[in-house]
Amino acid sequence: MSSLPDRRLLESWQDPKAAPYVRIERLTKKFGDVYAVDDVSLNIFQGEFFSLLGSSGCGKSTLLRLLAGLEYPTSGRIHIDGVDVTDVPPYSRPVNMMFQSYALFPHMTVEQNIDFGLRQDRLPRRERAERIGEMLDLLKITPLRKRRPDQLSGGQRQRVALARSLAKHPKLLLLDEPLGALDKRLRENTQFELVNLQERLGTTFVTVTHDQEEAMTMSSRIAIMEAGQIMQIDTPTAIYEFPNCRFVAEFIGSVNLFEGKIVERQGDQVLIEAQFGGLMRMRSFQPHAIGTPVMVAIRPEKMRLCETPGGDGVNRLQGIVEDIAYLGDVSIYRIRTGSGLLAEMTLTNIQPRTEQALTWEQEAVIEWSPTSGVVLTE
Amino acid sequence: MSHRHSHRLSRLLNIGLPYFWLGLFFLLPFVMVLRISLAEPTLAQPPYTALWEWVEQGVLQIRLNLANFQLLREDDIYLAALLNSLWVALVGTVCCLLLGYPMAYAIATAPERRRILLLMLIILPFWTSFLIRVYAWIGLLNANGLLNTFLLWLGVIDEPLKILHTQMAVYIGVVYSYLPFMILPLYANLTRLDPTLLEAAADLGCRPFRAFLRVTLPLSMPGIVAGSMLVFIPVVGEFVIPDLLGSPGSLMIGKLMWTEFFANKDWPLASALAIVLLAVLVVPFVLMQRLQQDDEGTRT
Repeated sequence: MSSLPDRRLLESWQDPKAAPYVRIERLTKKFGDVYAVDDVSLNIFQGEFFSLLGSSGCGKSTLLRLLAGLEYPTSGRIHIDGVDVTDVPPYSRPVNMMFQSYALFPHMTVEQNIDFGLRQDRLPRRERAERIGEMLDLLKITPLRKRRPDQLSGGQRQRVALARSLAKHPKLLLLDEPLGALDKRLRENTQFELVNLQERLGTTFVTVTHDQEEAMTMSSRIAIMEAGQIMQIDTPTAIYEFPNCRFVAEFIGSVNLFEGKIVERQGDQVLIEAQFGGLMRMRSFQPHAIGTPVMVAIRPEKMRLCETPGGDGVNRLQGIVEDIAYLGDVSIYRIRTGSGLLAEMTLTNIQPRTEQALTWEQEAVIEWSPTSGVVLTE
Repeated sequence: MSHRHSHRLSRLLNIGLPYFWLGLFFLLPFVMVLRISLAEPTLAQPPYTALWEWVEQGVLQIRLNLANFQLLREDDIYLAALLNSLWVALVGTVCCLLLGYPMAYAIATAPERRRILLLMLIILPFWTSFLIRVYAWIGLLNANGLLNTFLLWLGVIDEPLKILHTQMAVYIGVVYSYLPFMILPLYANLTRLDPTLLEAAADLGCRPFRAFLRVTLPLSMPGIVAGSMLVFIPVVGEFVIPDLLGSPGSLMIGKLMWTEFFANKDWPLASALAIVLLAVLVVPFVLMQRLQQDDEGTRT
């Protein structure tokens, strides 16, 4: 353990030596008496695809607008690439934004829209034409270059907006619900394209979304926001597998929350007396005191049918199948215990639906392993 | 069947009613003026000759008198009056635009609650008669009127300015009277402008004034055109303002028309003048619209 950690194995945000590309320090934005952004500190590293995820009104869009310079903070500082840009107006920031409504200039062609930012930089005509060509190529919209926005479909507009915001080669690209206005099929394809684009260009992307699936697929890291505050910042995997609080656990995916009280610590595991009447044994690295009220969060797909009843009865629930939601690839079972608790279990439909063992009103015992969930205190 | 019938009837009414309205109150009066312009003046009631008459059994005699139009061409006074009217209208329109655009912009960007108050202030003068409001300017502008008294009291001037009965007074009257017609269409246009477009411009490196020139101004062009037409067209034929505020010698087509109608009782000549004025005003606009449509046609 004495040797230094291998930098190649560390992601930039785990590397204590890496300098953050965007440094947000204790940023607060008040509108009247409302805290839209409440004392947020956050580091984003070069080349990241960073997502701000939250429900509407959580302050994620305001945070993005603060980065763009379209709003000025009530207090706190913003540094981009080592420069304090807190008081820099939007037209002087090395940042570009793709707006949720795209905000394409209706009186200009696709080409002129892309050219708009380049002209502001007073680039020579040759270079501008090259840059426009590059962007048209990159987003595969060359045939549309003479059209006006009202002659484009939603998906085409999205590409033009992206091309326009990338044309100036910004240090940081901000995307406000980049896929929000697209229909579902198009959205899924565009997700992968956006990630490919980002990896190819190496530009740091910060995106705002309320769609967790979108955030999970695209992001290197996600910040979950609620009421102007950041609840958790982590990789998609960590956010899903190891939520740090009840809010995050419930916000992402579905989760079973079992309340209980710590009764014993056994190495890296704790024994919890569950409110539903049984005992739970979960892995936990946090130093909980005996008697601490906790919640055990377990994802439905980490539950399984108990084949061998009996044993010590730890991490086990017994009930009857109340509801089955058949989704094709998986089915969701809702199991009601004797104490009235409702537990959710997802099973992959390995067999055709008609041959599955579990059916309505049937008695079932489900179980989980100590490493398949987390112990939460708040 | 009867359902379809009533549906067709309501469609006919929907389409027909505006045409009926235009026919009754626009086309018919126009045809009447055109008819009078082709007659000769007489001392009778009405003071113009009939266009046709039965001279004998089965023979209809139609007399089209083009002398009125010929006179308009031969006498320079009419061309001079027309050009002067167009010039006054042009200057008035440009002044209204320069003054009205910032006002419309300010109202459109004011907080929502204040907008209604500001719009009310623009519309409020309409509650008083136009004639009285123009008369009021005589009291403001004449040698011992409010303006001169005030300026003398301030010591800015030693003797009263001669404003009333000059071209200047006409411009003041025109701008004062027609400013709302410029502001209202511009306001309607500017409030519909998506503010995120300006944010996008700023985000792409555009300073506020350039953003105004490259985004707001081109997008408010329809408002500018609408407002300018609403000012320009009536000012060309304006009679009250040059008559009350202008110099007696100043020639405006509206004043001339009034003289021919009421002083000279020459209805046919006045009608011919009206027809020429209409042609001068309408034909360019029709051509412009045709061009615009062609432009849109080639775009799609």
